[in-house]
Amino acid sequence: MIETDINDLSDDADYAAASRQQGPASFNRSDSGRRSSSGETEGAEVVYLKDNVTIHPTQYAADWISGRLKLIKQAGSLFMTWIPYKGQNSNARLTEKDKNLYTIRAVPFSDIKSIRRHNPPIGWQYIIVVLSSGLAFPPLYFYNGGVKEFLATVKQHAFLVRSADDANVFVVNDFQDPLQKTLSSLELPRAVSVANSPSSSVALSESPSSGNQEMTEGGAFNGSAASVRQNGTPRQKHNDPARDLHMQVLEKFSLVTRFARETTSQLFRESQMDGFLASERRRYDQPLVEHQSLVEHPESPDSNGSPKTPVPADPLEFDKMSLVWGKPRQPRLGLEEWSNFLDSEGRVMDANALKKRIFYGGVEHNLRRELWPFLLEYHPYDSTFAEREYLVAIKKLEYETLKKQWQSISHAQARRFTKFRERKGLIDKDVVRTDRSLSFYDGDDNPNVHLLRDILLTYSFYNFDLGYCQGMSDLLSPILFVMKDESESFWCFVSLMERLGPNFSRDQSGMHSQLFALSKLVEILDSPLHNYFQQNECINYFFCFRWILIQFKREFDFDRTMLLWEVLWTRYLSEHLHLYFCVAILKRYRNKIIGEQMDFDTLLKFINELSGQIDLNPTLRDAEALCICAGENGAACIPPGTPPSLPIEDASVYPQLEDDIL
Amino acid sequence: MSYAYLFKYIIIGDTGVGKSCLLLQFTDKRFQPVHDLTIGVEFGARMITIDNKPIKLQIWDTAGQESFRSITRSYYRGAAGALLVYDITRRETFNHLASWLEDARQHANANMTIMLIGNKCDLSHRRAVSTEEGEQFARENGLIFMECSAKTAQNVEEAFISTAATIYKKIQEGVFDVSNESYGIKVGYGNIPGPQGGRDGGNTQGGGCCS
Repeated sequence: MIETDINDLSDDADYAAASRQQGPASFNRSDSGRRSSSGETEGAEVVYLKDNVTIHPTQYAADWISGRLKLIKQAGSLFMTWIPYKGQNSNARLTEKDKNLYTIRAVPFSDIKSIRRHNPPIGWQYIIVVLSSGLAFPPLYFYNGGVKEFLATVKQHAFLVRSADDANVFVVNDFQDPLQKTLSSLELPRAVSVANSPSSSVALSESPSSGNQEMTEGGAFNGSAASVRQNGTPRQKHNDPARDLHMQVLEKFSLVTRFARETTSQLFRESQMDGFLASERRRYDQPLVEHQSLVEHPESPDSNGSPKTPVPADPLEFDKMSLVWGKPRQPRLGLEEWSNFLDSEGRVMDANALKKRIFYGGVEHNLRRELWPFLLEYHPYDSTFAEREYLVAIKKLEYETLKKQWQSISHAQARRFTKFRERKGLIDKDVVRTDRSLSFYDGDDNPNVHLLRDILLTYSFYNFDLGYCQGMSDLLSPILFVMKDESESFWCFVSLMERLGPNFSRDQSGMHSQLFALSKLVEILDSPLHNYFQQNECINYFFCFRWILIQFKREFDFDRTMLLWEVLWTRYLSEHLHLYFCVAILKRYRNKIIGEQMDFDTLLKFINELSGQIDLNPTLRDAEALCICAGENGAACIPPGTPPSLPIEDASVYPQLEDDIL
Repeated sequence: MSYAYLFKYIIIGDTGVGKSCLLLQFTDKRFQPVHDLTIGVEFGARMITIDNKPIKLQIWDTAGQESFRSITRSYYRGAAGALLVYDITRRETFNHLASWLEDARQHANANMTIMLIGNKCDLSHRRAVSTEEGEQFARENGLIFMECSAKTAQNVEEAFISTAATIYKKIQEGVFDVSNESYGIKVGYGNIPGPQGGRDGGNTQGGGCCS
């Protein structure tokens, strides 16, 4: 398995050798080289061919898939293909179809960002090909050697430079090209350590000695974190923990690729059924998916099969949509499908499946009234129709009791109860400034506005420590709009506030912890952007304050807000999808932000004015993809108890400040 | 549109005193009683003319509630002018002025021009703070003072413009280094900052008080 190729590990000699290979056709015969046969597509020339290049989808050798790797030149462009051999495994676990999912069919090098070479001391040499989109193909193991020739051939036909940071990384394409700059947005992190990360992610952390990534709990946004990174990093040799991490992240991206493939095949099936999806796919999907979709109907994955010539992506289109590749959004959950989730007595049989379904599609409006109480955890999923009916009845009584607490305050008592008067005054002022453009709340003396007032005031007695804070009316308004009923709205709001209450705590600790987690996420998902914020004193992320405080309520119209909320409330991929959603928006505008060198003021104004401009579904897909990409490293950025996680139990959830007024 | 100077303003004061309405009256010349409450900060802008020079006002309208003070503080940076607003019909909004002023003094640059505004002067029948009290507070704290009505537009133009005139005058007097943007002043294209002929830059549009 280890052949001569592995002997010249001396990196620079290897690279130099590659550099020397400038003459045309130098490798056509050098290896197992068969020249391009007449069977190839017209104008296509096979400039490199290697057999027994294998991927390892699992650790079990029986699952490994061997195939043939080729570099094909056509019309001045270089393409890479890897086609698995047919019928080589008798193993039942991997069907031909599974194998096809891994097929790499004519990926143009313009879509490739970098190639990383791995020379493990024991075992086969392999490479990981990272696409401009940030996706990576699974590692390709060269059982017969040939990595050096592979790189040399690429260098001969495409722009390939060795990374200054890491001698084993070869960067494809010209980074002067603005498009490439865009595509490099999904920078791989050099370091992702978080000091208090859960144990599961410790393996991915930097060694303690490198210490520059220490995260100080609860605070200092201006910290020294993330100082040594982009530039001036010496070449990393073996045993460098950062390098290992880098590699592990790459492999994580490989997993994502697999996810994306599964998605793609599913998408393809769905799009045949549903014209809506097909059109959405055309609009939003990025070229990788386009190439992958070819996989679904090649004549056969024959090793001699001719490469399909992919349609090059429109660079502008690609630029705009550089990161849309989460699962396609589905139509909203409707009544008929919903009824299939219930058993005869009204229990939700598979809560996870329901959450997943809502995560990907949302809910039709007329079902929200029934479904939101589940999503908000007011109704248990395993409750029956009868149990819910009973719950509603007793909760109604309980609400009435709570409401009487403030209703029974006489005028004379109120005069001696400043806190109550102030609170009521504030709520009175705010409910008439909440969604009044909606017919549900417009006009003088609108009974729904009175309901808003009564519910908020009752809540401020139910949770007297937290009281009332601006922003709560924004959170309650859609709930009342959906639930209609006063008591039901109240209890749904109570459930929501169990998670979002800390957003409104007097010391702003809930907001600060989320903004801090957001900064850590941007750091791992877009370190250049993070560095930009740091250098421009934007590191407190206050410009995202409104997004987080009221769950993007002011960024979307009412209907989209409701859709976004029910997606977030499923907590399907993460409790903190809203933070990934923030990252997704920022990444969409990163070029503008950095390109125009926005300072704090300009950035704040820019973000404010994005209101109404954000494309919901593509951004949700980005958020989903980012969440999967970040994986455990992302989860480790978010300290336990960060809203909307349930608070960590302790004596006082909302510490009172001494000069508490309201 | 080109300008000679851009001034950053910030509007502060208790919730419900009419900050957003003042801004809307100034930028759009209309009164909208059912304005959504402000979360975080909103922006407005308008060109004015002082001493025949076009000046752009970029105005930051902040959320008033106490809980958001820590966020609001980050908006003071680089403000050349502040409108500190209270509601003449609600005594407590006047009582809180000292705490707002303390915030402003602590987080804004020392030369920030502060205009104290007693809003809702159209509701004189519900007045809870006398004009004299407002004047006195302003005098004691070195602020300019006006009573306004965002509803009737009374003195709204004047408040914004006389603040600008004061800032402009300070520029003429060399109080600011206008090349340093932390003072909340940007010099526009085509304007050559330097020794100016005019000693008094304030124009006649400003001034006046509704009392």
